[in-house]
Amino acid sequence: MLIRGAGTKMDWGRTPAAIDVILSTRRMNRLLAHQHGDLTATAEAGATLAGMNRTLAEHRQWLPLDPPFADRATIGGILATNDSGPLRHRFGTPRDLVIGVELVTTDGALAKAGGRVVKNVAGYDLSKLVAGSFGSLAAIVSATFKLAPLPAASKTLVIEASDFDALGRIVGAMMASQLEPLAFEIHVPDVVGAELGPPSRAGQRRPLRSSLQLRFASVAAACDAQIAQACALAPLTDCATETLQGDEEREAWETHARRIWDAPGALVRASWLPATVSAAMSELRRMAGSACIQLAGRAAIGAGLIRIDADVRAQAAVVEQLRQSALFGNVVVVRGSPDLKALVDVWGPQGDRDQVFASVKRALDPDGVLNAGRGPL
Amino acid sequence: MNPVFLAELRHVLGAGAVLQDPLELITYECDALPHLRSVPAAVVLPSSAAEVQAIVRLCAREKVPFVARGHGTGLSGGALPVSGCVVIALSRLNRILSVDIPNQRVTVEPGVTNLEITRQVAPFGYYYAPDPSSQQVCSIGGNVAENSGGAHCLKYGFTTHHVLAVEAVLPNGEMAHIGGSLVDTPGPDLVGLIVGSEGTLAIVTSITVRVLRRPETVQTLLAAFDTIDAGGLAVSDIIGSGIIPAAVEMMDALAIQAAEAAVHPGFPKSDTILIVELDGPAAEVTALFDVVQGICRRSGATTIEVAQNDEQRARIWKGRKAAFAAMGRVSPNYYVQDGVVPRTQLPQVLNRIRQLEARSGLRIGNVFHAGDGNLHPLICYDERVAGEADKAVEVAAEILSYCIEAGGSLTGEHGIGADKSAYMPQMFTPDDLALMQRVRAAFDPQRLCNPGKIFPAPRLCGEVPGPYRQHPVEEAGLAERL
Repeated sequence: MLIRGAGTKMDWGRTPAAIDVILSTRRMNRLLAHQHGDLTATAEAGATLAGMNRTLAEHRQWLPLDPPFADRATIGGILATNDSGPLRHRFGTPRDLVIGVELVTTDGALAKAGGRVVKNVAGYDLSKLVAGSFGSLAAIVSATFKLAPLPAASKTLVIEASDFDALGRIVGAMMASQLEPLAFEIHVPDVVGAELGPPSRAGQRRPLRSSLQLRFASVAAACDAQIAQACALAPLTDCATETLQGDEEREAWETHARRIWDAPGALVRASWLPATVSAAMSELRRMAGSACIQLAGRAAIGAGLIRIDADVRAQAAVVEQLRQSALFGNVVVVRGSPDLKALVDVWGPQGDRDQVFASVKRALDPDGVLNAGRGPL
Repeated sequence: MNPVFLAELRHVLGAGAVLQDPLELITYECDALPHLRSVPAAVVLPSSAAEVQAIVRLCAREKVPFVARGHGTGLSGGALPVSGCVVIALSRLNRILSVDIPNQRVTVEPGVTNLEITRQVAPFGYYYAPDPSSQQVCSIGGNVAENSGGAHCLKYGFTTHHVLAVEAVLPNGEMAHIGGSLVDTPGPDLVGLIVGSEGTLAIVTSITVRVLRRPETVQTLLAAFDTIDAGGLAVSDIIGSGIIPAAVEMMDALAIQAAEAAVHPGFPKSDTILIVELDGPAAEVTALFDVVQGICRRSGATTIEVAQNDEQRARIWKGRKAAFAAMGRVSPNYYVQDGVVPRTQLPQVLNRIRQLEARSGLRIGNVFHAGDGNLHPLICYDERVAGEADKAVEVAAEILSYCIEAGGSLTGEHGIGADKSAYMPQMFTPDDLALMQRVRAAFDPQRLCNPGKIFPAPRLCGEVPGPYRQHPVEEAGLAERL
C-alpha cells in the first residue's frame, strides 16, 4: 500500500515491486483547529500547506515551512518526508514544529501521541518517529503544529561570491556574527564544472558565480540595520551585493525554490559541515567531470540538493563519489530515473541504525505492507 | 543477586566501580523526587561507552533490569531503581569529546553538566540554549532522557531541538549511532524518539549538540500587577502582537513572598509579577521592548522595572529560579507539580486552582512559564499534621485533571517517570499507550531498560497514585514491586 497526498513525491524512493492499493488523503483536507491565541493549529493529513497558511494568515500567523512544491504539497506528505526549504535556517524541519500526531497502524488502531500544547513531555514523541518515515510505519491522519507570527517586514540581501574561498569566508563570517536571518541560502550554478575553472579569456561570457541569499524578517528598522551590518562584514566589502524587497524579493525566492527542480537531471539530497563549504564545493566540482552540477541549500546548516545532469552512468558515478567523500554525507537520491535507481541505492548505507529501523518496522508493520518497499525501511 | 554475574561486573569494571555496600547503595535509592525510594541490588560506575555496553550485555544475558542515572536531579523518579536492578551511574562519563566552534557543535559524554557545555563555548561567544533551573548540576544525559526545557524554551525549544546525534547502547547491548554531525540522516527521526524517552529505549553514551551564538542584545523587565488576570492579559497581548519573547515567567503572591524570604531579589510587593525577556538583534529588541512595556502599562502594571545591566537581570532571574526551593521558607513541606495548559486557558485553570486552594485549606503558590502554559503549582503542607501529606497529593492530582480537561498535558518538563505513570490513561487511550508500548518492545523486548516508568503498571489492589507508600502486602513480604 502507498499513502498519497497531492502526489508531489510519487517518484521518490526505491522503485516499488508492486502496488495493490493507493490510499489517498485527498478528502481528508480540513484544517481542524487554529488556536491563534496559543499559536497552534491542527490539520488533516491531506490539507495543503498553502491552503493552511492562507487561513492562518487571517490572524497574521503561519506554519513556517517552505518545502518544494509548497503550493500543492500536503501536511501528511511534508511530515512523512520531513521535507523543508530555506526557512529551515530559523524554524527547523517539520519534526521541530510538530507537537502532536494522530496515526493509524496496519492493525487498524487509531492512536495519538503528543498533544495540542507546545510544551509536553508525556509519553513517547511518535510524531518524530513518523517524520522521515516516508509512510513506512503508519498512516498520518492529522498533525498539530506550533506556529509563528508572520514577520512585519522582510528584506533580502543577495551576495555574489568571486570563488569558493570567498564563499567559505562569507559563510564563516555570517555564522560567527550575531545577525539573525530568517533564511541563509547558497546557490552554486549548473555550469560549475565548465565555467568556474580557469579564468575566462576576453570575449567569453562572464562565468556564473556562486551566490548567497540572506532574508531578514523583523520590524523594518531591524531588517535595514542587519543588512547594513552584514554588508560591513570583512569578506563582503568587495563583493557585489543587491538588496531586494517587495515583488523583487518574492520573485528571487520563488526562482531560488524552483530553479533546481525545473532543470533536467537527477536530484540528490546531501549534507556537509557548514564550515567546510569551500572545500566541499571544490570537491563537488572535481567530481562533476563532464556532468553539469548545480547545488542549492542551507548555508549555515550544511544541507541541500545537488542536481546532476549527465548520462545515467555519470550520474551514478557522482552519487558514488559523494557517498565515498569525507566531506559529504547522507546522500539520498530524490529524483532519479529507474535506470539510475537500478545502478545506485536510493537511500545509501544506514550504518548501525539499520537494526533499530528493522525492529521498529517489524513492530509497527510486521507484514511490510506500507510504502511497498520504497524505503527507507 | 547472582554472585557470578556480580563477579563478571567486577571483572569488566574493576572492584571499585561496583557498589554493593548497603550504605553506599542508599545514595542511589531515589532521585530528586525523594518520596519514591527503592534500593538497587547494585550500582555500577562505568568510565567508558565500552564499559556501559559490557554492563548492558551482561544484564541482557542474565535478564537483570537496569536503570541509567545521571546526576539524580530528576523530579519524576525517572532514575528510581526497581527491585533487584543494577543502577548504571554515568557520572564518570564526563569528558568533553569535541568543541567545534566553526560548525557550532559540541560532543560530550552524558555525565557532563548542562552548564559545562556553555562554559566550554562561552569564551567564543556561544551558549547551549536549553536551561533547566538545575542546569548547574543536572547532566546532559539526563536532559536527553527527559527532553529538558527551561525558562527560555518558549523561543529556543527543548533538548530535542538542539541534539544532533547520540551514540546509544541498545537494551540488547548493541551500539547504535543515531543522527549525526551531518544533518538529515535518512529515515525516521530516531534522535527525536530517544530524546524524552526517559531512559526506557537506550542508554546514550555520547551526545552531539548544537550551540548558539549569543544574541546581540538582551532586555529584561519585571512588571507587577494587582491581579493574576491582569498579568495574564499582558501575556496574551504580547503574544497576540506577534512577539515571541525569549522568556515570559509569572509568579503569584505566595511565590513572591517565598523568593523574597530566601534570596531577597527585591521584587515589588504585589499579587503577581511578570518577567519578560527579549533577545536578538539590537534594532529588533529595542523596537519590541517598547511595545512590551506599553502592553504591560495598558494591562494595568503597577510598576515596571527594566534591568539596566547584567547584574540587575541576574537578580531578577535569581528570584525566579530560586522560587521552588524558597517555598521551604514559608511552608514546612511542599509538593511541586508540573502540568501544561494551552496558554489561553491559563486564567480559567488558575481560577480553578484558587478555588481548590480555598476548598482544601492548603496554600498553593504558582510559578509558571506563562508563555507556553507550563504551570508549576507549589502545594504547601505540613507532614506533622495528620492527613495533610495525603491531601497535598490529592490536590496535586486534581490540578493535573484540570490541565487535561483544558486540553493540556500531564507534564511539560519534569517527565512522567515513576511519579505520574498512573495518570497516563487520563491523557492517552489504551490504543495510544499500546502503540507506544509496541515501539518500546521494538527496542527492549525483555523490558529490562528502566522498567516501571512512563507506562501505567498493573497496580496492587487498593493502591492510590502519588508518593510511594509501601503497600500492606509488600510490608508483609507477600509481594514485591517489579
